[in-house]
Amino acid sequence: MDIIKNPRKRDGEQQLGVLYDGGKVRRRREWRGFKDTFFDYTRWLYLVSVLGKFIMNPYNVKGFFRYRWMANYLGVMHGMDKFTIGLRDEALRITHYSFNYVIADVTQSIVNCFRGDRRIRNDEEFSKHCVLTDENAMTAQMMGFKAEEARAILREVPTMFAANIFNQNSVIHYIDVAQQYGIPGDVCPMPESEAGISIDDDFCVLGSCAVQVNTTCDGSMMGNGLIAKRLEREYGIPTFQLTAPLRHREEDVQKYAAEDMKKAIAFIEEHTGAKWDWDTYFQRAKNVNDCTRKRMAQLDINATPYPQFFGAAFSLYNDTNYMGNCGRDPYFVKLDKKLLKLAEKGYREKRMYAREYRHRCIVWGVQPQYIIDMLYWMLQCWGVVPLTDMLSMVNTRMIAEEDTPENREQAYYDMAWLNENMIMRNRTHGGYEVLVDELWEFCEQMNADMVMMWEHMSCKALDGMHGQFEEQARERGIHLVWVCHDLCDPRVYSRQAIRDQFNSYMRTVMREEPLDPTIEVLPDENAW
Amino acid sequence: MSKLKKIPLMLLGAGGAFFVVTFTIYFFNLDMKLTSKLEPFFLKHYDTMPRKQYV
Repeated sequence: MDIIKNPRKRDGEQQLGVLYDGGKVRRRREWRGFKDTFFDYTRWLYLVSVLGKFIMNPYNVKGFFRYRWMANYLGVMHGMDKFTIGLRDEALRITHYSFNYVIADVTQSIVNCFRGDRRIRNDEEFSKHCVLTDENAMTAQMMGFKAEEARAILREVPTMFAANIFNQNSVIHYIDVAQQYGIPGDVCPMPESEAGISIDDDFCVLGSCAVQVNTTCDGSMMGNGLIAKRLEREYGIPTFQLTAPLRHREEDVQKYAAEDMKKAIAFIEEHTGAKWDWDTYFQRAKNVNDCTRKRMAQLDINATPYPQFFGAAFSLYNDTNYMGNCGRDPYFVKLDKKLLKLAEKGYREKRMYAREYRHRCIVWGVQPQYIIDMLYWMLQCWGVVPLTDMLSMVNTRMIAEEDTPENREQAYYDMAWLNENMIMRNRTHGGYEVLVDELWEFCEQMNADMVMMWEHMSCKALDGMHGQFEEQARERGIHLVWVCHDLCDPRVYSRQAIRDQFNSYMRTVMREEPLDPTIEVLPDENAW
Repeated sequence: MSKLKKIPLMLLGAGGAFFVVTFTIYFFNLDMKLTSKLEPFFLKHYDTMPRKQYV
């Protein structure tokens, strides 16, 4: 592709390497010029207020001392800084507004967990309306329940997933516990650490029942088995297995998936006493469709020479919006609108976020990009723009949103469709068409000349496709950069070991020099 | 100067002091430097807690 040069000089810091000194946290925060530094400071104040309010609650303090994973939240601001590196103007605002709300959402999840937790506040009335919901689910089965009657509690999110955003070492202890009990080291560290948390008795215990899913993978099912056993036998929490068909694009599996969805809903009604409400469902279906329209509009902007909402924040926001929310939180509708408005403004003003854009890149594969600031680093160090990622290429189908007798039946199929097409799983399962063929279509739509392939060494789902990617990328003249990692276990692949693979490709294959040589090698091995 | 007239000045002074203190903490990353020092104490605490490990 032709190099696009940024006609505007970036305010503030030009070389970002100065921010790193080898410690757990950065030497200081980035100087972005007066206007953007002040904005960043006001968002920092906002997060201080969110966390301050959280810690004022004595039950949350009690939870802090009870649960090891809570210590990772000492690094919330560090996590935020990771995802705003080098950003200015609209992209800085978009990243803050989206990511700040994810943080506020996770904070509320922790508050809910502690409220119902038998060891912390033990609010039994609240707890009996809680449904422990697998973090790997789209939570579509909760769309027709009012929150006060049946509330989804995704306890793995604050315990494992979000904690790992703020501290790369957050799950090492739990992986070690799981391995002490004989789980092999080549399992994906995500379900392995969740199993370790359960073995170590470090999950909150609440709820009248639980729903687990077979999304995403075999490792996840292994972990779920251990978790369900403890939930049912020790804590008396019955667990439903919601099983999405693997070949989710095939018509003949949809009836089975819809029937299973009906059974999951009946199970929740039976254990919580809640009643499915169609008005609530269809209102939330409208929210899901609105979210899909706005995400597609963001992708349209990213297909132009001036992408605005990109990187790990884009992916994480979509992840939270579809899975953690799935239409239930009306604030996401407002936020989607606000983010799109900012992105449109950035596009109109032709905002760029690096000195030059050399390559337009799609990020594919099972990604560790919440743990490492890789996507922003690629942009700042090499001028490679991460246009979108595999997790953000989720549902594009509009679901039925008008309450009619036909649509009430269709709704089960729609919820099943959402569940089958859970983020990431919609690509890692369902055959080579969804994983390989559609990638090349996205490259064409987004005008991408490069694909950065995350190769998660413990993920069995993608291993067999390596050769097909290589062969087909070569045929199409797409630069394919393989970057190996081991997700949330930094002992196997450190951050610099991950970056070095990209550096080697850019220097030896592309014969390019970095835009900012001070960040080509970063001393952040010990950083949170 | 009457007490009433001093109030805006006092508010301005308090706002200015708040800004100087919080901006210094923000810019020099003092919040994260402090919490990173706290982490080892918490980890030590969690290590000493009795656990009911179960598979």
